[in-house]
Amino acid sequence: MVQNLTVNGDRRSSAADPITPLVDVLREDFHLTGAKPVCREGFCGACMVLLDGAPILSCLVPAALAEDCEILTVEGLATDGGLTPIQSALEACDAVQCGMCFPGMVVTLTHLLTAKPGATRDDIRAALTGNICRCTGYERIVEAALIAVAAK
Amino acid sequence: MSEVFAATDFRRRDARDKLRGRTRYTIDRYLPGMLHAAVLRARVPSGRIVRLDVSKAARMPGVRAVVTAADAPGKIGIGIADHPLFARDLIRYDGEPLAAVAADALIQAQAALAAIEVEIEPLPAVLTMAEAIAAEAPLVHPDWRAHEILFAGGAREGNIAWEATVVRGDVDAAFARPDVVIVDSAFRVGRQNHVAFEPRAVVASYEDGRFHIETSTQVPWSIRNATARLLGVPASQVRVTVPPVGGGFGLKFDIAIEPFAALLTRASGRPVRLVNSREEEMLTCLFRENAEIRIRSAVTRQGKIVGREAVVLMDCGAYGGEQIFLTTMTAHTLGGNYRLGSVRLVSRAVYTNTAPNGAFRACNGVYNTFALELHTDEIAARIGMDPLAFRRRNVLGDGDLGATGQVFEGDVLGPMLDRMDTMRVAAEQPYERADGRLYGRATTVGTWFVFVGPSAATVNMNADGTATLVTSGVEIGSGSMMQGLPQIVAATLGVGPEDVIVRAADTDAAGYDVGVGGGRTTVSLGAASLAAAQEVRKKLLKVASEMIEAAPDDLVMRNGRIEIDGAPGSGRSIAEVATHAQAQIGPISGTGAFTGNSVPAMPGCVAGHFIDAIDIPVFAVHDCEVAVDRETGHVEVLSYRVVQDVGRALNPRAIRGQIQGGVVQGLGYALHEEVTIGANGRVCQNNFETYRLPLALDVVPVETSLYEGAPSVGPLGTKGAGEVPILNVGATVACAVANATGKRVQELPLTPPRVLQLLLDRRGELSFPHIAKTWADNLVRPHGTAG
Repeated sequence: MVQNLTVNGDRRSSAADPITPLVDVLREDFHLTGAKPVCREGFCGACMVLLDGAPILSCLVPAALAEDCEILTVEGLATDGGLTPIQSALEACDAVQCGMCFPGMVVTLTHLLTAKPGATRDDIRAALTGNICRCTGYERIVEAALIAVAAK
Repeated sequence: MSEVFAATDFRRRDARDKLRGRTRYTIDRYLPGMLHAAVLRARVPSGRIVRLDVSKAARMPGVRAVVTAADAPGKIGIGIADHPLFARDLIRYDGEPLAAVAADALIQAQAALAAIEVEIEPLPAVLTMAEAIAAEAPLVHPDWRAHEILFAGGAREGNIAWEATVVRGDVDAAFARPDVVIVDSAFRVGRQNHVAFEPRAVVASYEDGRFHIETSTQVPWSIRNATARLLGVPASQVRVTVPPVGGGFGLKFDIAIEPFAALLTRASGRPVRLVNSREEEMLTCLFRENAEIRIRSAVTRQGKIVGREAVVLMDCGAYGGEQIFLTTMTAHTLGGNYRLGSVRLVSRAVYTNTAPNGAFRACNGVYNTFALELHTDEIAARIGMDPLAFRRRNVLGDGDLGATGQVFEGDVLGPMLDRMDTMRVAAEQPYERADGRLYGRATTVGTWFVFVGPSAATVNMNADGTATLVTSGVEIGSGSMMQGLPQIVAATLGVGPEDVIVRAADTDAAGYDVGVGGGRTTVSLGAASLAAAQEVRKKLLKVASEMIEAAPDDLVMRNGRIEIDGAPGSGRSIAEVATHAQAQIGPISGTGAFTGNSVPAMPGCVAGHFIDAIDIPVFAVHDCEVAVDRETGHVEVLSYRVVQDVGRALNPRAIRGQIQGGVVQGLGYALHEEVTIGANGRVCQNNFETYRLPLALDVVPVETSLYEGAPSVGPLGTKGAGEVPILNVGATVACAVANATGKRVQELPLTPPRVLQLLLDRRGELSFPHIAKTWADNLVRPHGTAG
């Protein structure tokens, strides 16, 4: 059975078993290795992608359930090789260390900035509770999000 | 040195791709024709392998290779070679590898593991250090006498894998003085899991009789050498390259799963990918070790520490590993911070039938600082002195002796305490304290070091005016390879740091290096890089002096040009000089090397130590305020402040990022990261649901002050800054909780149930019947006698 998926605007198909976690189809069939399978249990948030605009944990979603949806991965957020405002703010704040959690962080914050354009510090911290970072201690990620909010 | 170095918040070049999901870590590498591997692990803590039959598994669909102990004849270790790749006859811990399989698909490899026939006769296990030390305890290594010794000097016996001692001065006399009070404290800490987000991962291939190992590691040269030793092949047959690493924290400072992939690629003739599952990472991560500490001090009423003695038990798990080395560190951590009239310390690495422990950011220092600082507060309370005043009176200063008799240079901790006072006063804000919670605060000090050692670097000057820096350094996330190192080379050559290309680690391209860890990247690799850049500079100036017709001493390199000093715009661009040089004498390059400078200890003070004195001490002062909920035992950290001795800050913003991240890792250790071992010998916390990491809502912004100017042999006066931020977090939080509750804190982590027990006086005093009251009775061999 073939899954037909729309990823970052492209129509793609995968022959993977329909219950294969979406993160594995993205990474192994489509070579989109941005989303990271860190815990595979929905706790860390590093595999987050947008499904019809909503952030989801791609380790917990079977690929078949993503059919007929618009999937946006971290690779597809910025157009023409640049950075989105939240990516720019994270870069400018020197927020990135090992970087493994950032694909998920960027997806969560991209959604937050759309859903809550006037997000406060507390909103941002609450939004990030589903995204674990082992390196940074979060503070610069929050700072960057506040800068991105202010720049809007 | 004529070059001028200005600190800058130079941005890291790898951030953009990391933010766009384009960075390819080891786990993201897929090669054509690649096989997928899996490892069969023991499910008992102790047993004898009666039968291991892989013939059925080898015939399973898709299976291309199966390897077992027969394929890996060597043993590795630090100090002693006690660790084979696969369990051979005995299983020593739950999770120990028995066999490895490579197949076309991962699911096929996993199916094949299930088809391996294993028969194991269970044996009695020792799961705690108390059990391991008990008389007549079963031996984890019945053959311990036969282990090859790689570093002489450590005392060993039975389940004591290694023992290191320090004796300076007459401790018995100090404790017998009539004018002292004796304070006796006991502490216990559990293990901590690094939880690097990228698990241990490797892609190996075998071409032209050589292994190419692409791996997520901090130590490419250790992987090269240890793989060769385990497989019984010459080290020159192993090439290690390292893509960007998704988090290390010490986890990747040792060999891991690389040799399995190496064996399987050689056996199958195909590239092999092996990635640990999260569960494998949680159960076999080379944890920060659990430890038990007894420390006693003889102190005068005026607050002078005339004698100190301690016994530190460190659980190394089933194999010696890093803990053998870490027995050395007690002298410099538990024996650090303060002037001591006399001192004797013993650190014992103890074998147990549990998963091996390893290195973790500020290894050994974190719990010894916890113990030392709580003990210090207990002393101050006993003699009725303010804890801060006691510290001020006793912290190490210029000319003071360390535990091993090394002479410390410069007054560093004293001025750092002053600076912390200033920060605290400036930030003073009354908290709303009417909520019924208990409020407390603490200020602690800590002593750490830079793990120097050999590094090599080459700088190639390109005709286009850029330079390529070639080292075995790895970017693990700290940014040292992206910021500090190119900044050092750039400043030497008068080019922008963005014009310094940084070559990723490749043992075929760069010389030996100890590895990225121990705060040594900017120091050791930095010093080698500086020396290499200086050689390039010298050669370029010679060529330029002929072109410009000026003496080399009159020339400066800045802004991409070589000019006559004081005459901006004179001279030539560096690209012109490099191009001219290339045509006339060939391309210009320079090499550099570095190792420690070996500060002396006092003769006779140490036994079984790998490092007698610390070349570059690093000090830290931490301060925090906490609120403790009486009803739940929950501890909230209200504020956190750090004054850190950085020598010289090349990139202050990058250092502050390390401090925030390191403190938060420490808060997890202090408050909720808990590892326990079940009666079956298995680690109980096998995922993120059971192992509680710090989340965005748990943390506070850390206020930081970088203390510059302390002596350092590091390049441009630098010290390592990434490792030390975690050092005294457990200590500071624990002292603050003790201060808030008025209870004796003896253990970490301070989870709500544990704190509630303290508040309700239901947590009995710690006692260690397996630690002898008389210090010398703890030793397998008296200090100062030969082995």
